[in-house]
Amino acid sequence: MNATSKAHRGSRVQMTLGFTGVLLLAACASAPPAPTANLQAAQQAIAAAERGEAARYAPGELSESHTKLASAETAVSEKKMIVAEHLADQSRAEAELASARTSAAKANAVNDEMKRTNGTLVDEMKRGSGDKP
Amino acid sequence: MNTTRYGDVIAPKMLIGVAVASILLAACTTAPVKPDGAAEARVKLTQLQSDPNLASRAATAIKDADAAVRAAEQPEADKELAANRVYLADRKVDTARALAETRFAEDQRAVITAQRDSARLDARTREADAAKGQVATAQAEGAEQKMAADQARGEANTAQLAAASSQQQAAELQRQVDVLQAKPTDRGLVLTLGDVLFTTGRADLKPGATDNLNKLVAFLDKYPDRSVTIQGFTDSVGSEDYNQGLSERRADSVKSYLAGHGISSMRLSASGKGRSDPVADNGSATGRQQNRRVEVIIGNSTAALR
Repeated sequence: MNATSKAHRGSRVQMTLGFTGVLLLAACASAPPAPTANLQAAQQAIAAAERGEAARYAPGELSESHTKLASAETAVSEKKMIVAEHLADQSRAEAELASARTSAAKANAVNDEMKRTNGTLVDEMKRGSGDKP
Repeated sequence: MNTTRYGDVIAPKMLIGVAVASILLAACTTAPVKPDGAAEARVKLTQLQSDPNLASRAATAIKDADAAVRAAEQPEADKELAANRVYLADRKVDTARALAETRFAEDQRAVITAQRDSARLDARTREADAAKGQVATAQAEGAEQKMAADQARGEANTAQLAAASSQQQAAELQRQVDVLQAKPTDRGLVLTLGDVLFTTGRADLKPGATDNLNKLVAFLDKYPDRSVTIQGFTDSVGSEDYNQGLSERRADSVKSYLAGHGISSMRLSASGKGRSDPVADNGSATGRQQNRRVEVIIGNSTAALR
């Protein structure tokens, strides 16, 4: 009886180990590691955009980037790592777009100011010399 | 039977193979369809690449965008993956455009600055011209004022000169008058020539006693517009007729002397007053000596005499 029970227990342990192994394999196949690098890249891209005043010059893109990053983190928690990776990449691309549009808006604002100053200068010049048409 | 069974076994396997192949072929015919949105991303990229202001700027970003678009264009059975690639391609094209626009704007600043410098230079040139104009105007005005001032000064000088001249002339006349020891009276300047000129009872001038007459000649030379009236006087010694005659002859003698020294006789008149108009008492020798005299009255001017 004792021997029988021992043998029975041994086979149960083996079965448990085997089951665990199957589970682990299954986990490996369906849930790859979280896309940590992609998420970090997205976070850095958002931080860079915010440093560049994207909230002022490209608020739509920045907001979209935040939304994508949040979705990516949700996907990670749901073990949807592929989706999470894609969302992280999209968040990063959106943040980079926000930065680029911010740069363009700032550059154009500077140029507009310069042109306005030029216009004022020309006006003042015309007024100054008194040959207004 | 064996072979038949074998054949029976093979036939279904082949059928399955054909079916799979046909499925794969079918998959191949549908697979080349590009994922949704990839074409739009390509159009945007092509627009960016054909923009002469932007194509050469942000070259790296455009290259990345091009790679992303090509990846998005790859046929992909996984819809989620395909959508992700299209999304990334679209954002990368937009990013590349924004970066190129940024560079373009930055490059434009040189142009704007050049325009401003040109405008400034223009303004300075105009200011300088205006200033030059003002200076010229001011100079012209200054010159005008200077001219006016010079003229005024000239006039003042002339006036001063005239004043000085008349002053000088007056001073000179006074000096001459002083030299003649003439006395201003209401008849004019009266020069009294004493009897020292004449020997008693005679009318001819003593030689060597003509200093006063020479001074008179000089004076009349200097003031040619002045005429003189010469009057002879005697004391009360002797008859009236005699004294009248003597006074006339003495006056004539002086007149002759003056005429002989270049004074026009037109300016000269001589008369005798005899013993009338004594200037001193005939009772004394001194008085009589004073009464024996010739008075030369110098008129203020020719006009005054007429």
